[in-house]
Amino acid sequence: MSPRRTAAAVLMLALPLAGCAGTAAPAASTRGTTPPAASSSTADTSPTPSEAAGRRIEVAFAGGRVTGDTGRVPVPLGEPVTVVVTSDVADEAHLHGYDVLAALVPGQPAELAFDATIPGVFELELHDAGTVLLTLQVG
Amino acid sequence: MSVLAHGVGSRTDLPIPIGFALYGAGAVILVSFAVLLLFWRTPRLGGPASGRPLPAGVQRVLDGAPLRRGLQAAALAAAVLVVAAALLGPAETSRNLAPWVLYVTFWVGLVPASLLLGPVWRAANPLRLLHRLLRPVAPAAPGAARLPALGVWPAAASLLAFVWLELVFPGRAEPITVAVFLLLHAVVHVALSLWFGEGWFARGDGFEAYSTLIARLAPWGRRDDGRLVLRNPLARALATPAEPGLTALVVVLLGSTAFDGLSRTVWWQTGPGAAGDTLSGTVGLLASIGVVAALYALGTRLSGRLAGQAPGVQPGRYAATVIPIALGYTVAHYFSLLLLDGQHTWILLSNPFGVAGVDLFGTYGNRVDLTAVGSDAIALVQVGAIITGHVVGVALAHERALLSARHARASDQLPLVVVMVLFTLGGLGLLFGF
Repeated sequence: MSPRRTAAAVLMLALPLAGCAGTAAPAASTRGTTPPAASSSTADTSPTPSEAAGRRIEVAFAGGRVTGDTGRVPVPLGEPVTVVVTSDVADEAHLHGYDVLAALVPGQPAELAFDATIPGVFELELHDAGTVLLTLQVG
Repeated sequence: MSVLAHGVGSRTDLPIPIGFALYGAGAVILVSFAVLLLFWRTPRLGGPASGRPLPAGVQRVLDGAPLRRGLQAAALAAAVLVVAAALLGPAETSRNLAPWVLYVTFWVGLVPASLLLGPVWRAANPLRLLHRLLRPVAPAAPGAARLPALGVWPAAASLLAFVWLELVFPGRAEPITVAVFLLLHAVVHVALSLWFGEGWFARGDGFEAYSTLIARLAPWGRRDDGRLVLRNPLARALATPAEPGLTALVVVLLGSTAFDGLSRTVWWQTGPGAAGDTLSGTVGLLASIGVVAALYALGTRLSGRLAGQAPGVQPGRYAATVIPIALGYTVAHYFSLLLLDGQHTWILLSNPFGVAGVDLFGTYGNRVDLTAVGSDAIALVQVGAIITGHVVGVALAHERALLSARHARASDQLPLVVVMVLFTLGGLGLLFGF
């Protein structure tokens, strides 16, 4: 009984791996060539009101406090993402891992646009203040 | 500076899929009871005298002074380079070699190196070389007689200081922090070694004690007559000498890794640790270590009471059986850091001081490939490491119980096994992110 159950558990452990491994390659290939196609195929999983393709995330920093889409923000792998950052102080927004930077002018929204092609959890940080605006969870 | 990162790092792992967490949990509980009820009923692993000796020539080279002095000199040169790069290189963490070498390549790399090769840092510890050079200054070592009574308690304290720096101190990723830490560590430990003698390093240097501890699971080690032997790693782990403080060392290791996992969860980042400051981090780290210590003491003492043995000796007796569980946690939490963010070291090594136009190995322009290992592979390694560590730990505890009482009843071992299951489910829960 127990060996069979162990074998079943091992098999079940292996199944999601095989499934995900199969989907990883096509997702990676579509985003490189045609980003709009990739976004339309994932639109059903993420109903975004934005007129542009992909995910739009808005976060604001004012008076030392972070408001908007803060905390852990999940994004599907391969999705084009636009993060709009508004700050009341001059600083620089830095998305770790992707190494996307945007200079922040007080009161003016700045955009960080990129394709979410690297799975993992990444911080969006104000460089000078050291404040974490949000963490992006890709995958 | 960075809330998520352990020391340094540009990414952290995704939470493991719920399926992995559940199957892992099921496997852990199943295996635990199988070990208790179906495994061997008499001690099976070889004792401290077991093992297949290595050829005498190989041992002469490995134990010889030239190899050890050479390794120590190389490590000293590397440490000097790292401190110099920290002080004189680029100020930003992402372009400075030092934080990546200390927190990723050295600290995390020490684990696979010790697991495969044995206690490498005992052989290569550059502070031992400094000690030898400075020994003529203080030849007496007035504290040497007191050292055995201290056991590895000083190493547990040294390790706690480092994990606090790595996981809590807000300026941990700054190159200057790395330089100050390395210099302070060297001064403090060389001074203490002059007071306590060269034996200090094995008992007081957290890095050396850590490497030696992991090396208990290496496939080769020293027989009790001094011969280097190939040996079942499980037998080697059980032969770990019961020193005062060994329990503390293991508990600091397990508790700090648990805190690293905890600090990555949404619950921690939006709840107790939302401030991301020194206070919340320190409290969280000490609480994690405290919970692990309390559970462990409870489980071992209760098992001892059921078996009619003195409860006081139990935590020390079973300390070595927690090493594989701590190792499983460590692999699960830092494997991806070494393979992904560890690439920084090899890129930055090409130009340690950030001088324009310098590119020693032609790698300075490379970018870190954060997709080199897929998230599915990472999750599988994480769950695999946690479960493997658990299985080995439970098996070791079983053998240890049989060694201490030939006819130990399976039910006597239950409290400790339950605590180990809790550690492992906790580890899986942290990977899942609750």
